Amino acid sequence: MAGGVRGWLARVGSYSAERQPRAWLLLLPALACIGVFNVLPLVRVFVMAFQSGSLRHLRFAGWSNFVAVLADPSFVRALVNTGVFACVTVPVGLVVSLMLAVAVDSRMRGSRVFEALLFVPYLTSVVAVGVVFRYLFNGDFGVVDYVLSLVGLGPFDFLNDPRLSMVTLCVFGVWLSLAFNIVILLSGLRAIDPLLYRVADLYGASAWERFSRITLPQLAPMITFLSIMDLINAFKVYTEVYVLFNGMPGVADSAVTAVFYVYDKFYVQGRYGQGMAAAVVLFALILVFTLLQSLLVRRLSR
Amino acid sequence: MSITIRHLGKRYGERVALRDVNLEVCDGELVCLLGPSGCGKSTLLNIVAGLLDPSGGDVLIDGESVVRTHPKYRGIGMVFQDYALYPHMSVEENVMFPLRVGEHRVARREALVRARRFMRLTGIEDLARLRPGSLSGGQQQRVAVARALVQEPRVLLLDEPLSNLDARLRLSIREEIRRIVKATRVTTVFVTHDQEEALSIGDRIAVMDRGVIQQFAAPQDLYLDPANLFVARFMGSPVLNTFCLSYDGGRRVLAGDDFSVPLGVLDVSRFRRPVGEAESVLAAGGCVLGVRPEHFHLVGGSDGLADAGADRFPVVFGTLVESVEMIGRYAVVHFTADDERCRCVVDVRRAPRAGDRVLVGLDCVSVHVFDADGGRLY
Repeated sequence: MAGGVRGWLARVGSYSAERQPRAWLLLLPALACIGVFNVLPLVRVFVMAFQSGSLRHLRFAGWSNFVAVLADPSFVRALVNTGVFACVTVPVGLVVSLMLAVAVDSRMRGSRVFEALLFVPYLTSVVAVGVVFRYLFNGDFGVVDYVLSLVGLGPFDFLNDPRLSMVTLCVFGVWLSLAFNIVILLSGLRAIDPLLYRVADLYGASAWERFSRITLPQLAPMITFLSIMDLINAFKVYTEVYVLFNGMPGVADSAVTAVFYVYDKFYVQGRYGQGMAAAVVLFALILVFTLLQSLLVRRLSR
Repeated sequence: MSITIRHLGKRYGERVALRDVNLEVCDGELVCLLGPSGCGKSTLLNIVAGLLDPSGGDVLIDGESVVRTHPKYRGIGMVFQDYALYPHMSVEENVMFPLRVGEHRVARREALVRARRFMRLTGIEDLARLRPGSLSGGQQQRVAVARALVQEPRVLLLDEPLSNLDARLRLSIREEIRRIVKATRVTTVFVTHDQEEALSIGDRIAVMDRGVIQQFAAPQDLYLDPANLFVARFMGSPVLNTFCLSYDGGRRVLAGDDFSVPLGVLDVSRFRRPVGEAESVLAAGGCVLGVRPEHFHLVGGSDGLADAGADRFPVVFGTLVESVEMIGRYAVVHFTADDERCRCVVDVRRAPRAGDRVLVGLDCVSVHVFDADGGRLY
């Protein structure tokens, strides 16, 4: 045993071009933090999902938490809302940001300025943006409602009408996803060899043909990456709900989402086990969706 | 399908890229545009393709002006230096691309039939399903050529198509390109900076420098009968030896420090101007004597070369061999004469060693004489 330690120390001390166990020493602080603050809590989530009682007196409760959560109509609604949010914001956000990115990338005067402006939302706190959106969406003096009234629509009470809260949330979600998407897509667009377009011009390709036969396939890796990132983020939607509806999951829980439900169970209701069970269900769903998506993308890109 | 270029000019702000370029490419001919980088050859090609606008002049294809015509209506196929293949498409899709876009797009089935024909011609049928990324440089080159030909263009333009290939591959691909071009009888303009490439592939070569066509002639004429000092220097390897000589009108010799060439030994019929007129030009500004490396002959030295017949040459001088470069069948001998570093080629079996003292004979009839501006006098 002692020889093993000495041998290890000797190996750590001596030089090797391809194996440097000393690196582990350098990684140790980071690994310790990740272990204590990321891995351990993750394990605790799975353990607590099968426990009930207060945090000091947890006891094994079998599958009862899962039964309770899945039977809760509020949780089902939270899952449906989260699913709707993800299925709407991810594709819509990608399409809109792709259009904006292509527009900004074209040789337009001042496109750099637009690029900077488009990135500002990414630097701004979601809470601050949420406050602004609360004003924009206000039913009494909101600009959005006013503009819609000009074309003969409305009046809409975006924030207080339970039928509209998901619409409002999705619009907000799409807007928030734009900045990051555009920056990534722009970098992708700039990486495309301009000669590829020159060849297309030489053979008289139309603007749509240039886009569909060159731009889109060339951006495929970026779009794949963004769709996976956006999907995961969409499943985690929480802050958006919180700031948009002033700390509530919309009127009459109309905009409750999965993470909001977990938060509510854990911190507000104090049903720790059920909160964690809901988190585990959410985890499983995200896992399944992401796997399905990457399978789909792999098949499409073939 | 002939190409006629008339008084073509191109300027970028103050910089003149092309100056009054005139060129006539006959139907089915393979013409090379040859010149150092920045000489305007690619600019000229891009104007013919319609990817750049000329500042003045006209380009006619089959007698019809095309400068105001969109590239797609010019009937042009083009191969770019780095091929510009679509990395996300298979070889087959790349070759089909010109047929599948634009107003004249044809059905997939029809496009495939035509693409296959040109893939057979270029020998890439077996690669149909592969992506360009998994092909070698030479294979990518063939794909690019097949794509340029698939529309059966009137004119094929190649912009330094071989410069990304390794030396050996370049030799075989350039023969291949000539074979394909001649098989399809397409009028071709081939841009290159490599004189050897141009000499081997072109029916005629236009040598360009600083936006001007210096000489447009058959390959052998460029070498044997250069129009000016630039062309003489640019064509040939090892490069032409040049000496700035003054003219001694009394003795009628081109005088240098180490050797002098009497006008009397030159062939009168080879003068570009009447001898009297040439003499007054020489007297006014001196001259540049150009000697091809094969026109220096080692006629004597320390190791028994003396019997090589120094008396055959009217001009003979002694020098020290600085270094000897082995090329293969022949060797390049470096020495200094008249303060110029000189190169001459000798049979490898008769090559001297560095440090040897040698006698060098000058084949006076074969030299070139240029005036102070680089114009050819002899």
